[in-house]
Amino acid sequence: MKFLVFLLLAGLAFAGEADVNVLARPHDLWEVIYKIWLVIAVVIYIVVAVPSLYFMIKYRFKPNEREVGDQEHEGHWGLEALWTIVPLIIVLYLATHGFALFTQMRKPPENAMELKVTAFAWGWMFQYPNGKMVIAQAIKDTEDKKCKPDECYSVDGVFQNYAYIPAGVPIKAVLTSQDVIHSFYVQPAGVTQDMVPGRTTYTWFQINKPGEYWVFCREYCGQWHSRMFAKLKVVPKEEFEKWLKGEVASLEDKAFKIVKNNRAQEVVR
Amino acid sequence: MREALPAHKPWFAASIWEWIFTTDHKKIGIMYGVTSTLFFIVGGLMALGMRLELFNPGAQYVKPETYNWFLTVHGTVILLWWAIGIWASFANFLIPLMIGARDVAFPRLNALGYWMFFAASVIALLTFIPGNQIMTMWTGYPPLASTEGIGFAGQTALFVFIWHLTGFASIAGAVNFITTVIMMRQPGIGFFNLNLFIHGIMAANVIQLLGVPSVAGAVTMLFLDTYLKTSFFDPSRGGDPVLYQNLFWFYSHPAVYVMVLPGFGIISEVVSAFARKPIFGYRSMAIAIWAIALVGFMVWTHHMFVSGIPDWVKILMSYTTLLIAVPTGIKIFNWVATLYRAAILYKTPMLYALGAIFMFLIGGLTGIPLGIPAFDVAVHDSYFVVGHFHYVLGMAVTLAAFAGFFYWWPKVTGKMYSEGLGKVSFWLVMLGSNVLYFAQLIVGIWGMPRRYYDYPPIESWIELHHLQTYGAFVLAFGILLALVSLIKGAISGEKAPDNPWMSNSLEWRLPSPPPPHNFDEPPKVEEDYCPHGYCKF
Ligand code: HEM
Ligand SMILES: [Cu+2]
Ligand SMILES: [Cu+2]
Repeated sequence: MKFLVFLLLAGLAFAGEADVNVLARPHDLWEVIYKIWLVIAVVIYIVVAVPSLYFMIKYRFKPNEREVGDQEHEGHWGLEALWTIVPLIIVLYLATHGFALFTQMRKPPENAMELKVTAFAWGWMFQYPNGKMVIAQAIKDTEDKKCKPDECYSVDGVFQNYAYIPAGVPIKAVLTSQDVIHSFYVQPAGVTQDMVPGRTTYTWFQINKPGEYWVFCREYCGQWHSRMFAKLKVVPKEEFEKWLKGEVASLEDKAFKIVKNNRAQEVVR
Repeated sequence: MREALPAHKPWFAASIWEWIFTTDHKKIGIMYGVTSTLFFIVGGLMALGMRLELFNPGAQYVKPETYNWFLTVHGTVILLWWAIGIWASFANFLIPLMIGARDVAFPRLNALGYWMFFAASVIALLTFIPGNQIMTMWTGYPPLASTEGIGFAGQTALFVFIWHLTGFASIAGAVNFITTVIMMRQPGIGFFNLNLFIHGIMAANVIQLLGVPSVAGAVTMLFLDTYLKTSFFDPSRGGDPVLYQNLFWFYSHPAVYVMVLPGFGIISEVVSAFARKPIFGYRSMAIAIWAIALVGFMVWTHHMFVSGIPDWVKILMSYTTLLIAVPTGIKIFNWVATLYRAAILYKTPMLYALGAIFMFLIGGLTGIPLGIPAFDVAVHDSYFVVGHFHYVLGMAVTLAAFAGFFYWWPKVTGKMYSEGLGKVSFWLVMLGSNVLYFAQLIVGIWGMPRRYYDYPPIESWIELHHLQTYGAFVLAFGILLALVSLIKGAISGEKAPDNPWMSNSLEWRLPSPPPPHNFDEPPKVEEDYCPHGYCKF
C-alpha cells in the first residue's frame, strides 16, 4: 500500500521540468510519457511473449507421448491475483503521471502571446495581438484530378499558406471555427485541439528554433480536409516584431531561404 | 427405417423459399454470416482502393469525394456488418446448440432482425449509385453531416437509416439471445459453466440493449437537424455539436466491446480445445468479460480528449479507461497460462486464435497511451489511432472470427476445410497485416493525420505509405486463401467426424452437420459439465 502511494506521488512529482533547449514545447512533456509508455509496453510484451513462445514450443502435441494437457491445471488464485494487482498498479501510476503532465500541458505560461485562430473550410485565419491578420488557405485543385505532388501543394514551388511566429515565445492559440469542426495540430509541439463552431478552445505551444513547421487539420472537415494544412514560419523575435509592426512586408528572403522543392523532411524529424 | 431417414437430412437441405421464410436459427445464422462476409469483402476492396491512392502523395487515381466515400463505407460497413454482424452469425448458429435448445426464444423476431440487417445492407449498397455517396465518415459528426454545401458530406439520410436499421436488428438480436440463454439452458448449465463464447455474446448484447438507444437518438437528431432544420447541434441557433459526440460515443465506445468480447469467447473455446486442457481461470475469465462490459460504459470521452470538454472530465475518464486494461490483461495472462503443460495441436483454428491473442496484445498496449490525455493530444486523430484500432479490430477481431470459421466449419458443413491452405493463409495474413498496421502506428507517431486522402511529400512518410500498401495486398491475398480453403473444404473436403477436436462442449455431441431440429432429445448434461474441460468427455 505504502509502495502504491509512493508510486503515485512519484508520478505527480516528476511531472517534467520546463526545458528551454528543446525544439518545441510542450513536446518535451509528451516525450516523458511517451518514453515511459514505450518501456512499459515493450517489457509487458516480452513478459507475455517469451513465456508463451516457450510453452508453445515445449508443450506441443506429440503422438503417443503428449496427447492431452494437464487436466488439473485449471486455475490458481495467487497467480490470477498477481496479474490483476500488478497491472492495476501500473495503470494507476500511468494515469497519475499523465494527469500531472496534462495539467502542465494545459496551462499556458504567463508571458504567452495570444494568437486568435479561426478555422474555415479549408484554412485558418491567424489574428495577432495588434490586430494584424493572416490567412493561410489550402490550395485546392478541384478540377485537375492529376497533379504532381509538388504542384498540389504550392505555386511555383513556394508555399502560399503560412503564418509567422516568433521563436522562443510561448503562444496561446485561442481557437474557434466559422463553419464545421476543424482542428489545429502543431506538429513539432505535439498538440492537437479541435476548433468547434460556437465555442472557443485553446492550446499553447512554443517553438524555439527558427524554421518551417507543419500545422495540420486533424478533424475530418469534408472534401478537402486532406489539404487543410499550413506552415508556421518561425523567425527570430526581432524580425517577427518588425513584420508585426509593418516595417517589412515579408520576411521571405531574410530569415530563411525559400523552400524550393517542398521536401520538408528536415523540418519534420 | 422410415423414421430414421429425416435424421440424416442436414440442416441446410431446404428450398430457396424455405431459406427466405425460415425461422431456423441455423439458417438465419448462416444468412448473417454470408451477408457479413460479403460486406467484409466489399469493405476490404475499398480499403485496397484507399491504399492505392495513398501509395504516393498527390492526387493519383480518384477524387477526394471518392476517397471519402470509400473511407465512410469501409468504416461503416466493416464495423456494423463485419465486426458486429459476424457475431450475430456465430451466436445464432451456436447458442442453441451450446445450451441444448432446439431454437432461440423468439424465432420470428430473429428472422425479422436479420431482414432489418439485410435492409440496412441494401441502403449501404444504395450509396454506390452516383450522387448518393455518403462522405460523413462512420461517425457522422455535425455540423459537417447536417450542413449542405460546406465540405459536402453526401446523403446524410442514408447514413441515418443505416444506423437505425442495424440498430433495430441489434436490439432484436439482443433481446432474443439474452432471453434464450437465460430461459432455455439445459438443467445443469449455470452461470459458471456456460461456454465463454456465450459469456462474450451475452455481455455484448447487454451492451447493445443499453447503448443502441443513445446512438439512435443521436442520429435521429442529426436527421432532424439536416432535413427539418431543428437545431440540436447547430451552434448558430443555440445547439451544440459536442452533444452529438457525447451521445454517439456513449454507444460507440462500448460498441467496440460488442466487437471484441465475442471474439475473446471464441479464442477461449479454440485455445482450450487445441491445448487439450481446461481454460485457465475460467471464473476470472467470465468475470473479466462482464467487468469490461460494465466499465466500458464509463470511458467514452476518451474519443473526445481534444474536442473542448472540461479538463477534469478528461482526467476522470483517463482513469476509467486505463482500468479496462486490468480485466483485459487478466484474459491475456490466463490464455498464456492455459498453454502451460498443454498438448498444443497446431491446426488452422489454433493458429488464428493464437495470432489473435498476440495481435490483441499489441492493440491493447497501443490503446493504453490513447487513454492518457497527455499522450493523446499528440496523436489524436492520427495514423497512430488508425494503427491501434486495426490491431484490435482488423487483426484481433478478424483473426478470432476466422478462428471460429475454421473451428466450427466441420460442424456447420459436415466437411473438413483444407488444412494446408488454411495454414498458408494464416502466415500471409500475419505478415501482411503486421507490415500494414505497424507502419500505420509509426507514421502516426510521426504526425500523419487520419482521414487524409492525400499527404504532403514528406519523405519518411512516403516510405511508410509504400509499406502499408504492400502489406495490404499481402493481407488481402491471405484472406482470399482462407476463404478458398473454407469453400474448397465445403465442396470437396473430407467428411467431418462429429467431434474432430474432441471438445466437451454440447454442440460437438451432435452429428456433423446437425439435423434440422438439433437434438432428438434434450442432451444429458453431466454433474460436473464444463464446456472447456476437454478430458471429461
Ligand atoms: C484489407 C485490410 C484493410 C486495409 C488495407 C485497411 C485500410 C484502412 C485505411 C487506409 C483506412 C483509412 C485511414 C484514414 O484515411 O484515416 C482505414 C480506416 C478504417 N478501417 Fe480499415 N483496413 C483494413 C481492414 C479493416 C478491418 C478488418 C477493420 C475492422 C474490423 C477496419 C476498420 C476500419 C475503421 C473503423 C476505419 C476508420 C474509418 C473512419 O475513419 O471513419 N479496417 N482502413
Ligand atoms: Cu479542417
Ligand atoms: Cu479537416
